[in-house]
Amino acid sequence: MRRLYTAFLATVMALSLVTLFSKNVEAQGIPQNIPRKELLILENPEGTIKNAGWFNIWAINAGSQSNGLQQAALDTLWYIDPEKGIDGAWDNSLAADKPIYNADFTEMRVKLRKGIFWSDGVEFTSADVKATVDIQIKNPNMRFSAVLRNNVASVDAPDAETVIFKLHKPNSRFHTNFTVRWGAIWILPKHVFDKVEDPTKFDFNKPVSLSAYTLHSFDPDGKWYIWQLREDWQRTSLGRYGKPGPKYLAYVDPGPPEKRVIAQLNHELDVIHDIAPEGMFTLAKQSKSTKAWFKGFPYGHPDPTLAGVIFNTQNEHLKNRDVRWALALMIDIRAVTMAAYRGAATISAIPVPPTGIHPDAYHKPLEAWVKDFEIDTGKSKHKPYDPNVSKQIADMLRPSMGDQIPKDDKEIKDSFGLGWWKTNLEAATELLERAGYRKQANQWMTPDGKPFTVRLMVEGDLRPVMTRAGTMIVQQWKQAGIDARVDVAQGTLLTRRSAGDFDAFIGWSVETWGGHQDLSYFMDSWHSAFLAEPGKPQPLRNWQRWSHPELDGIIEKIRKIGFDDPKGIELGHDYVKLVTREMPFIPLMAYNVFTAMDHTYWTGFPTSDNPYANPVTNWGNSRYMFVKLKPAN
Amino acid sequence: MKRIIFDLLKYNNEFRIGVFLILIVVTMAGLSFFSPYPPNDVFVVPPDAPPSADYWLGTTSRGQDVFWQLSIAIRNTLAFGLLVALLSRVISIVVGLSSGYLGGWVDRVLMAINDTFIVIPLFPILILFYFVLRDSMSTILLALIMSSLGWAYDSRLIRSVAMSLKTREFTGTSVFSGMTIFEILRREHLPYVLPIIFSTTLNNMNWSIGLEVTLAVLGFMDINTPTIGGMIYWANQHTAIVAGIWWWVTFPVITVVATFVGLYLIAVSINEYIDPRSRLSRMGGGQS
Amino acid sequence: MPAYFNFAIKRLWQFVLVVFIGINIAYVITHVTPIDPVEQSISAVTSFGNTSPEAIADMRRSLQELYGLKGDWIEQYISFWRRILQADFGPSLSAFPAPVTSLIARALPWTFGLLAFTTLVSWSVGNLLGALAGYYRNNRSLKFFGVLAMALHPVPYYIVALSLMIVFGFIWPVLPITGGSAMDVQQGWNWQFVASVFHHSVLPALSLIMIGIGSWFLGMRSLVSNIITEDYVVYAEIGGVAQSRMMGSYIIRNALAPQVTGLAMSLGGIFNGAVITEKIFGYPGLGSLLVDGVYAGDYGLVLGVTSIAIIGVSLSVLVIDLIYPLIDPRVQVAS
Repeated sequence: MRRLYTAFLATVMALSLVTLFSKNVEAQGIPQNIPRKELLILENPEGTIKNAGWFNIWAINAGSQSNGLQQAALDTLWYIDPEKGIDGAWDNSLAADKPIYNADFTEMRVKLRKGIFWSDGVEFTSADVKATVDIQIKNPNMRFSAVLRNNVASVDAPDAETVIFKLHKPNSRFHTNFTVRWGAIWILPKHVFDKVEDPTKFDFNKPVSLSAYTLHSFDPDGKWYIWQLREDWQRTSLGRYGKPGPKYLAYVDPGPPEKRVIAQLNHELDVIHDIAPEGMFTLAKQSKSTKAWFKGFPYGHPDPTLAGVIFNTQNEHLKNRDVRWALALMIDIRAVTMAAYRGAATISAIPVPPTGIHPDAYHKPLEAWVKDFEIDTGKSKHKPYDPNVSKQIADMLRPSMGDQIPKDDKEIKDSFGLGWWKTNLEAATELLERAGYRKQANQWMTPDGKPFTVRLMVEGDLRPVMTRAGTMIVQQWKQAGIDARVDVAQGTLLTRRSAGDFDAFIGWSVETWGGHQDLSYFMDSWHSAFLAEPGKPQPLRNWQRWSHPELDGIIEKIRKIGFDDPKGIELGHDYVKLVTREMPFIPLMAYNVFTAMDHTYWTGFPTSDNPYANPVTNWGNSRYMFVKLKPAN
Repeated sequence: MKRIIFDLLKYNNEFRIGVFLILIVVTMAGLSFFSPYPPNDVFVVPPDAPPSADYWLGTTSRGQDVFWQLSIAIRNTLAFGLLVALLSRVISIVVGLSSGYLGGWVDRVLMAINDTFIVIPLFPILILFYFVLRDSMSTILLALIMSSLGWAYDSRLIRSVAMSLKTREFTGTSVFSGMTIFEILRREHLPYVLPIIFSTTLNNMNWSIGLEVTLAVLGFMDINTPTIGGMIYWANQHTAIVAGIWWWVTFPVITVVATFVGLYLIAVSINEYIDPRSRLSRMGGGQS
Repeated sequence: MPAYFNFAIKRLWQFVLVVFIGINIAYVITHVTPIDPVEQSISAVTSFGNTSPEAIADMRRSLQELYGLKGDWIEQYISFWRRILQADFGPSLSAFPAPVTSLIARALPWTFGLLAFTTLVSWSVGNLLGALAGYYRNNRSLKFFGVLAMALHPVPYYIVALSLMIVFGFIWPVLPITGGSAMDVQQGWNWQFVASVFHHSVLPALSLIMIGIGSWFLGMRSLVSNIITEDYVVYAEIGGVAQSRMMGSYIIRNALAPQVTGLAMSLGGIFNGAVITEKIFGYPGLGSLLVDGVYAGDYGLVLGVTSIAIIGVSLSVLVIDLIYPLIDPRVQVAS
């Protein structure tokens, strides 16, 4: 017995020693055969990809898009940067120039660049663009089939550098389909797809690249993808800006948030896509080599996406504007940003994201109007706007965060936003009473005498920050006497959102370019022609199922003017005023993404001081970062 | 009964420790009724404060006092475990005893059903229930579902005890001496069946609480009922461990471990007590 | 032998029945889920750009056809069973058009390898130590091990895994904490890959073993402590039988019965995948496949993984049930 026991112990010890010292300490989660100095490691927020060997981005559901495929390998006609861009927000990528429309926007001409080659040596021509359109119209189950069939009557390529699109109906923003804001219609290689019988079943493995990187290797279990810089990188549209710094790119699935932080602290993850605010604060405190978008608080990069409380305006109680405004006036945005982002948020009272160049075109010019905006409850008049909310948030944070909180007024406005609606429970009460609601004890009752219930849907731990915001808002509504409840939809949010199966939810129905003032990106879909009946699925983005004849008027006017026409901004102002009055959703703050960049191996990342690109790793636009990154030593 | 407990406390270390732990946990659960903060409110105290005189176990990143939150959480978790254990006892006892005593086709049918339930992978089914029921999936409903799915293993145990009792000599003797079936069950058999039931109850509690914690950590939980799993879930949402807010995770874990260990020790010591040989040997008499 | 033969046939029928009922239950539940994979795909596809509702209606129709969601529930049910009998679970809806069987085939070796290894190790080591602890009641180190096992046993697995990850991946980073194998190492039967797999499995295996050993240890210990008071053991001791022989033939052999049954259950449980292990250590196995499938409303995938789990558990219980009477002479094969 004793001998058996000793033998057992000895085996255990031997195994442990062998294990612990069999590999050197550094080579943990990084590639074995690639020099670290030439490699940039980024997070793929899509996680572990189930059918990893699928690179046909034009087939629905197949594989991953943000594993480097759209960021490093593919290309299309134009890009609009959510920030300032390397050379202005608008970039003519495969196109040589901006699109040229005819007078009534039924025809679009594109002139293409010369000297661009696919990674297998074939030259890029207009035939590829034409094939991209034709193949997807012919095979109706592809990713962009519906959009193209709906818009394009015919596409011609009279010569190798010209493409002419003829549209079914006037569409002054047709070109936006080929303009990258996160993604777009990517151009496919005609010479590859011509040989394919059924493009929906073709896996495109190994992919042929149009942009500067080709596929080096990947994990059949979907955890990592490695891309290598093309030797002929000058023959790509990215090459205009110089040779990209990293020779290799690795997009990986780093696992749950704690692991991402640990990975970056170990210098095994150069760019984190997103982590919880606390993770960001930890990194900022513990790692001198981690940088975020902002130098200090609030760190996060504000995406051109406006998070808010989206009402289902077809719901019988939320139909009424007074009720919606009352619910808005019960919210204290300072507590909400504390709960959601620990204060690291950029707030917005108006329905435009406070990011990119929007503050200059919308937030600052409209502030005077917003300050003056008055609500008449029938019993009294109020001016609900408080321009100092951002300053109050900064003051609240200063005791615990000290020097990380900016002191300069302008910096505070840039980081935290401008003002918001002051909490006003009396005005809310008066509005609800006007709408026929009565308060019994501390509980609001609807006009038919039942308790006024509002279920606020949140996504759960798939979007933790929004869930936290929702929890706080429900708490505030409960305190004001509404029977409010959090409803965690987890994976079902997308289904329920389109089905209208909610009273309200935390999400966004406003997404914009960021680098360009045009609002039609989201606004066009809010036209009443697209509004679904209650019970039928609602196409994006009018999740609040709201329509208004004035809005239709604005949308139709925008459709008739060019993309860069400054009149668009005026119409944008009209939109802001209308939606503020009607409050179909309550704007809260920009969707802050806590992208963390490690400076140990690479420098030159975009930041708020140098906003030449969007660092968020899954955006196609993030490729502009590659040309500016230089080895750190 | 009192004598028994007294004896146990006097002679049995494990029992003493077990009772002590459970008493602490139950006291904590009881204190929850005196909590100064409503259980679901956030930002009622300054967040991220380490344990101190003001906040005995510190505060969370959501601005809740860890001690009071924990008391409510352990109360809900214990109630949950107890509910599942009791409900599934009922099912497993009924199925196990009928199957063991009645035998024949009743036994075959019941065991076929039983085996089906053993085989069904519980985890995916539970997750699916969450998706089907979403916001109406309260902790109580979860308890009901778990108890209706988790009885199968124990009922087999009870059945085998029942089967062996049926064939024992003293059963035959009791029947010949004219005892009614009910009396036989109550006075002769129950003492054999009870220890199994008791230990399976405690095991079942451990199992259900463990499963609840697992589900909650993955995010499948009732957000309106704070439980231990829920506390750990929120701590993860706020990356508490990496952010250095260790008290948010450590104290719930210590509490739930104390619960498990306490229940286990009590079960083991009662089992030992009921078997007269081991009881004697512990008290110092008889052979070792 | 004829009694055994009858028993085996009956048992096999029971196996078929149980699997059939189990898979049906799984089918019903997966199809009741409110997550609509068509909506999920549409949202994913249209996440940029504005798309008119006619376009979306178009897309919805095409996707429904593509995913085989057309036809009423009877047709779907029949075609489902027809395919299953050919071991085809259809295409995965969230990873279209990769067949579910290929996804499962890729994940299964990881799950099976890790869990079979850890289950067998926990079982054998736990039982061995438990038997020793039950017999040598006063041995210090065994007692200490007992306390350790009892203390670890109830700790939620998540915490154990997380602590291991922090200690060995962060504080003292000598072991990898992500993935089944190192990045950039090609899969195949070469030394680099095998070593890498082994290296990456240390932490997940360790965490599973630490949790698993406790229950076997404690169970075996109490079983053995009951057995040693039996007459035949006392007789053997008095009669001077060698200790090792007594442990082996008299004690452990008789205590094994319930433990073997338990082993069958645990082996079956392998097919559930250790979801949390895979989530924390990024291990590419069945568990994460299942959870991802549920989130995406992917009926095919969830049904596939669940069916494999059901078949796996029933099969292991069947095997144990069939083998058991052959090794334990006390068990009568009742008619």
